[in-house]
Amino acid sequence: MNNHRLLLAILNAAPLILFGLIVVTLSLLSDSFLSVANFRNIVNQAAPVAVMAIGMTFVLLVKGVDLSIGSVMYLVAVLMGLYLSGLPLVVVIAAVLLIGLVFGAVNATFITRFDIAPFIVTLATLFIIRGLALFLSGTRMVFQSDTIQTMGRSALFGVPYAIWILAIIAAIGWVVLSQTPYGRQIYAVGADPHAAEKAGIPVRRIVFSVFCICGVCAAIGAFISVSQIGAASATFGYQKEFPVIAAAVLGGTSLFGGRGGVFGSIFGAVLVQTTENGLVMLNADPYLYPLVAALIIFLAAWVDGRRTAITERLERRKIRVE
Amino acid sequence: MSNSTADTRVGGGGLRPLQILQRAISSGYLVFALTILYVLAVWPFVPEILSRTNLVAILLQVIPLFIAAMGLMLVLMVAQIDLSATSIMALSCVVGASIITAQGGYMAGSPMATIVAIVVILAIGIAFGLLNGFCTAYMEMPSFLVTLTTMMFFSGAAIWYTALHTASGSSIGSLPGSFVQLGYGGIFGIPYAGIAAVLIGLGTHFLLTGTVFGRWIVAVGFNPRAALVSGIPVRRVIVWTFVISGICSAIAGIIYTARLEAGMPILGQRILLDIIGATVIGGVSLFGGTGRVLGVFFGVLFLSVVDNGLQLMGLSLSSVFAIKGSVILFAALLDVLRHKMVARS
Amino acid sequence: MSDVLLSVRNLNKGFFGVQVLKDVSFDVQKGHVLGLLGENGSGKSTTMNLVGGILQRDSGTIELAGAGIAPQNARDAQALGIAFIHQELSLFQNLSVEENIFLDHFPLRAGPLPLIDRRALRRKATEALALVGLETAPSTPVSRLPQGERQLVEIAKALTREAKLIIFDEPTTSLTAPESKRLFEIIERLRSQGMSIIYISHILGDVMRLCDDIVVLRDGQVIATEPVAQTSIERIVSQMVGRSIDNLFPERDKHCDASRSALSLRGVSQPGIVRDISFDLHPGEVLGISGLMGSGRSELARIIFGLDPYAAGEISVNGRRLRAGSPRTAMDAGIAFLTEDRRGEGLVMEASIAENILLPSLPKQASGFMSYLKPAHVTALAREMSEKVHVRAASIDRTAVRALSGGNQQKVVIGKWLLTAPQVFILDEPTRGIDVGAKYEVYKIINQLVANGAAVLMISSEIEELIGMADRIMVMSRGEPRGFFDRENFDREALMRAALWD
Repeated sequence: MNNHRLLLAILNAAPLILFGLIVVTLSLLSDSFLSVANFRNIVNQAAPVAVMAIGMTFVLLVKGVDLSIGSVMYLVAVLMGLYLSGLPLVVVIAAVLLIGLVFGAVNATFITRFDIAPFIVTLATLFIIRGLALFLSGTRMVFQSDTIQTMGRSALFGVPYAIWILAIIAAIGWVVLSQTPYGRQIYAVGADPHAAEKAGIPVRRIVFSVFCICGVCAAIGAFISVSQIGAASATFGYQKEFPVIAAAVLGGTSLFGGRGGVFGSIFGAVLVQTTENGLVMLNADPYLYPLVAALIIFLAAWVDGRRTAITERLERRKIRVE
Repeated sequence: MSNSTADTRVGGGGLRPLQILQRAISSGYLVFALTILYVLAVWPFVPEILSRTNLVAILLQVIPLFIAAMGLMLVLMVAQIDLSATSIMALSCVVGASIITAQGGYMAGSPMATIVAIVVILAIGIAFGLLNGFCTAYMEMPSFLVTLTTMMFFSGAAIWYTALHTASGSSIGSLPGSFVQLGYGGIFGIPYAGIAAVLIGLGTHFLLTGTVFGRWIVAVGFNPRAALVSGIPVRRVIVWTFVISGICSAIAGIIYTARLEAGMPILGQRILLDIIGATVIGGVSLFGGTGRVLGVFFGVLFLSVVDNGLQLMGLSLSSVFAIKGSVILFAALLDVLRHKMVARS
Repeated sequence: MSDVLLSVRNLNKGFFGVQVLKDVSFDVQKGHVLGLLGENGSGKSTTMNLVGGILQRDSGTIELAGAGIAPQNARDAQALGIAFIHQELSLFQNLSVEENIFLDHFPLRAGPLPLIDRRALRRKATEALALVGLETAPSTPVSRLPQGERQLVEIAKALTREAKLIIFDEPTTSLTAPESKRLFEIIERLRSQGMSIIYISHILGDVMRLCDDIVVLRDGQVIATEPVAQTSIERIVSQMVGRSIDNLFPERDKHCDASRSALSLRGVSQPGIVRDISFDLHPGEVLGISGLMGSGRSELARIIFGLDPYAAGEISVNGRRLRAGSPRTAMDAGIAFLTEDRRGEGLVMEASIAENILLPSLPKQASGFMSYLKPAHVTALAREMSEKVHVRAASIDRTAVRALSGGNQQKVVIGKWLLTAPQVFILDEPTRGIDVGAKYEVYKIINQLVANGAAVLMISSEIEELIGMADRIMVMSRGEPRGFFDRENFDREALMRAALWD
């Protein structure tokens, strides 16, 4: 019994331990690693994944998953570059948010109206949306307007704008999840949708809304990412769902619903980015990046599986006090 | 209470339109009918779809897809999913090709090379199936995530492995004739691949309808807890379905590789959707428990014919992506409808 | 005549052409407890789901305090003042007590944004908990509460919603006796405060004690509407069944062979679950295990069958030690286990009767290449068994067990285990949720089984059932055996005392 609690504590701390190990290793191997500038750089680079991981957290909390976010990213980048480039920034941002909302709502419709498993719906829309975007771009590189590129390089009080956006999204995400009735109801739906239905919670509406939120976050992530890079190739956003899910799960959000939060997801994103940063610093074979990324997700999912199993065992009803 | 046992007998005459629709949706031949409708619909635009050469081409396309779909069907029947099937194909075949390639293969020129390569490819399929199954059944991780991750890992590894073994880094070619003939070669005019597909199809049918293991798969898919209490080794059954899926992927991979005459690390990336789509549209439920070999065959045929028609009409890759994604959504929708109808009756 | 709160008139409801409710009418008085009784499938749940907004009626009227209502969902019903406390509680373990109570009506802070007013939440939750006499801190996660307290939280939740009518659906099935007692006290108090209550239960003793009036349903029709004072348990039972049953339990001779031991436990313990359980079960004997829900009786059964682990002790079957940890091993040793969760663990609901009956025996019936099953042979086996246990169905290989009544489903579970020819049959709540007629058939099967030399371990919440069926009763409480009673010493009160003994 105490063994279980200890194991649970270790599993909960596993991402932190991993982060510590990576930081220590990298700072020993490279002088430039442990600096404020480099850390700012890492967070700046992690910002798109972190924002999307916040959206993914909402979806995972109701036991869903969204595999289509990478394709939504690419579609947003293509539409921004091809059709929105001449427009005022406010209009561009509004359009970007709307695109995210629309595709989130498409996923949500299939999931809540027709009761199809989220992973299969979003696997299908992953291909459909990418097909659509590839059709629009003709698989050619799509460049962004100067306004967007300037924005990608700008900073406020020495902090890159991407980090400000991340901070704002994180604050909103935290307030919504922990301080509003809607947020608490999301947790209830994730713990037991049938019971939530019986308790009079509008389960379908909530599930619908979290997929919309995830779509919007994917669009914001695309906006940040594309402004940082300045252009989008045909593989932009390809398989981006992996680091995003990994970030959320490494941050303590469960794939089994009902558990998790915003700040963990940001931590997870930073952890994922630090790893990639480290691989670059170590001049690792670029072919190995996806292998390392896969290992990290695998670890996250393994930790989550163990953690859920042990928590269930601990919460199982005890008859005797020993 | 007695009236609740009134079973599925539907009156002979006077079916209402809704009932007709319900029957159509639950019928295993619906997909076959759709295939014929599709052919009739595109025939005016591309009459060559019914030409002898094209029909043979479709049949040849059906074979490896059907073999891979058999494996996935069993995994879906225990209410799991295997998204790594195509990356198992890619990795196992790249490794196999590196053994037999004339350009510095490990056993290049040896008479045993082809046999060793086939054994290695199958062994890799088994090993990766074991890995997927173990993580799903014993580590209690969600199978879609396990196989999504292994998909990423295996295909990454395949690309890396190819880069290590070739200058170009895109494929391992120069395969010996004894291997290449597995693609299109045959005996008495029947392709080897076709024989393999028929054997695998019949074997799977026998497995599901006539053996203990088949009944176990169904029980585990419908209700794993009840299966466990009935003494069924639930975890082992799940692992086995993944292993069979790995083997089927490896065999399909051999056929594709032999036809391409090269081990391609990106082999199968495009057919993942086809495999999932074909099985689900062929009536295998994502909820577990139901699946029939003939249904999956119709599903594979449907998807191959659709694909063929799109190609004949000269649609771009991006449109094919979008259309196949939609087919999956449609298939899943049918599955949900069927599931709901069964739950109500 | 006191005034009427809820008035139900001529309610009809059908599913796919099958009429489930026929002109159901009854009233609930203000400040009264109405017992709603009937066998499973008699239409109780359907009626309550119509009142609670979970289903919609085909015709008829429902009036609440004189106004016609038509709740479209649970939320509507709540807004109207109807609280429905389901058998399975709808609390969320990952949320705190206060969040659970106010989940759909959180107190909000002033201002344009919908932010939770945490201070008001704490205060209101404390008040609500005081109403049900619960002193737990409102910020405690529900996962840390015992079952009985969870039920009280559920009631507190109903009270904060200003419910006029509370529907309890089998509230005591998961409660210990003291917890049930506390629940009854609260129900009494609510009644005295003018609240109306509909109480659904199979435990007729509780109904007689608690209710003012009863309504008996049978086959979707109201059979009787009477004040409790004018009826009796015997009368209710005969109304429920439609015929009077003189003898609830079939006669049987004593077959017990005390010289041998079919199943023997020595000091079986598992921390937090059971401690030091020892007994011998003899061939031809029915050993009853009595105890309240949560006394460890079902957990013990799961340990014996290899579904759960145990830390210390020894289990042997026919003198041979049983290796732990696998149902297959237990089955090979001759143990069969009917679980209390028929739908979740007993049956594959989507599969046919034959498939279910054959499930545990498949390896035994297979032969030759790849464990081939001869279709004709196995179907004949299943048919023979389903006839033996009197499963009534249109077709054994086409009818899904989902379509069967509870009693017939239970007979399928029994049949599937009988086919394994068990020497030790563990039955956990074998008659839960099945009608009186089917119960009698189950008892007859048990008697036949022991007459043939098998040993039966029978777990039940109904003491009468154990008194009627068992040769010996072991009483459990808090995971420990509290005493053994032989048939001569069976005494309802003594058994009850042992179960409550702390």
